[in-house]
Amino acid sequence: MSGDDTRTLGKGSCPPGPVPEGMIRIYSMRFCPYSHRTRLVLKAKGIRHEVININLRNKPDWYYTKHPLGQIPVLENSQCQLIYESAVACEYLDDAYPGRKLFPHDPYERARQKMLLELFCKVPPLTKECLVALRCGRNCADLKAALRQEFCNLEEIGMWFLFHRTLRRLILDYQNSAFFGGDCISMIDYLLWPWFERLDVYGIADCVNHTPALRIWMAAMKRDPTVCSLFVDKNIFLGFLNLYFQNHPNAFDFGLHC
Amino acid sequence: MSGGSARSLAKGSEPPGPVPEGVIRVYSMRFCPFAERTRLVLEAKRIRHEVININLKNKPEWFFKKNPFGLVPVLENSQGQLVYESAITCEYLDEAYPGRKLLPDDPYEKARQKMIFELFSKVPSLLTSFIRRQNKKDCSDLKEEFCKEFSKLEEVLNTKKTSFFGGSSPSMVDYLMWPWFERLEVLELNDYVDHTPKLKLWMAAMKKDPTVSALLIDAKTFNGFLDLYLQNSPEACDYGL
Repeated sequence: MSGDDTRTLGKGSCPPGPVPEGMIRIYSMRFCPYSHRTRLVLKAKGIRHEVININLRNKPDWYYTKHPLGQIPVLENSQCQLIYESAVACEYLDDAYPGRKLFPHDPYERARQKMLLELFCKVPPLTKECLVALRCGRNCADLKAALRQEFCNLEEIGMWFLFHRTLRRLILDYQNSAFFGGDCISMIDYLLWPWFERLDVYGIADCVNHTPALRIWMAAMKRDPTVCSLFVDKNIFLGFLNLYFQNHPNAFDFGLHC
Repeated sequence: MSGGSARSLAKGSEPPGPVPEGVIRVYSMRFCPFAERTRLVLEAKRIRHEVININLKNKPEWFFKKNPFGLVPVLENSQGQLVYESAITCEYLDEAYPGRKLLPDDPYEKARQKMIFELFSKVPSLLTSFIRRQNKKDCSDLKEEFCKEFSKLEEVLNTKKTSFFGGSSPSMVDYLMWPWFERLEVLELNDYVDHTPKLKLWMAAMKKDPTVSALLIDAKTFNGFLDLYLQNSPEACDYGL
């Protein structure tokens, strides 16, 4: 249904037609962590959608009419409204679509999730820098140390929110209160997850060695049905990375059959 | 009511007591643009609040319990809940308090405000770079960068054809951006918006808004503060009191 696994559109491709009623379209790329956030929300909320994958190294000219800088993800609905910035797109979906709400209703709990997201903000650029350094054969001990520090902060402050609220419960149920928003998975978990899914394939899984609560959270996330349904096979991801770092034009379509 | 002119609390000061029922507290600093965002929202929504100013050059130890990053603004309510990061405090206030809504209800229009806000994101650090520059006479490179960012905002106003970024009256995104434009005037950089006429008109319209005028900084006081702040003086935050 979701059509995640479609070939990318590149330069010279025809612009896609309007989005049919009752659907929303996401411009994406199968291995992009930012798009991954939005695809997790689409899946978690059961939103009917179509995916158009973009060749990020050879972007179609028409794509700049969807995003001024040609970035992904972008949502496009049947009223031709465009929404970008991955976190903004995720919040838009939660607001606009009925059913399971991923953000809490309470204003303070919502604010708390957004503060946690802010706390996380150095992780994406750091993981990317580690990946690039490793792939280029450079030493990245300093980068990894910086990443470990960010994870410690996340564990300390992020988990502190849980401690503050349910201290007694936490001592009893440490294994169960595993998510950043409480007992159940919610928006903040999906917003953070894509980078943690990539730690192993980027070669930096040891960066969570000193953060046991984060490891418990990662294990719980891997059991979530939405996360599982979008999980990318390690070999396919590695195949993509290999081609990407060799500047291969078809890197983004690695693993597709047809 | 607001207590915005109270002397700041510094190292060695007693931590303040709990926040009384029916009031929300903002930890602030009179000249901080980020804290001004929150104060604008408090004023626009007419929320009963108290202000505790923090000496940012000599922070009280207890303040790090309010915000581990030690930054203003921070909101504290009577249940002891703490909210920080200026944009998050503003959205929290809009959601938690009734009355005038600053963010639209429509999910797309709300997302649009956030996308516009993202266009503004480089401006704060550009202003900081300007302020820290020793030789203010040679800022042509900075001016160029400002103009580049301002053109993005000008394009929004051109497309929307409204006076304000959210429509015909000020809303959240206008208040989130305003403090930096207020400082452009006070720093005599009005020519930075010469090539963006709609933005210039927006600035003039904002100055007429009652919420904005209520919190408008006096240029002389601001420059007095800035001189001391750049010298890292612990007296800076209380300048003019």
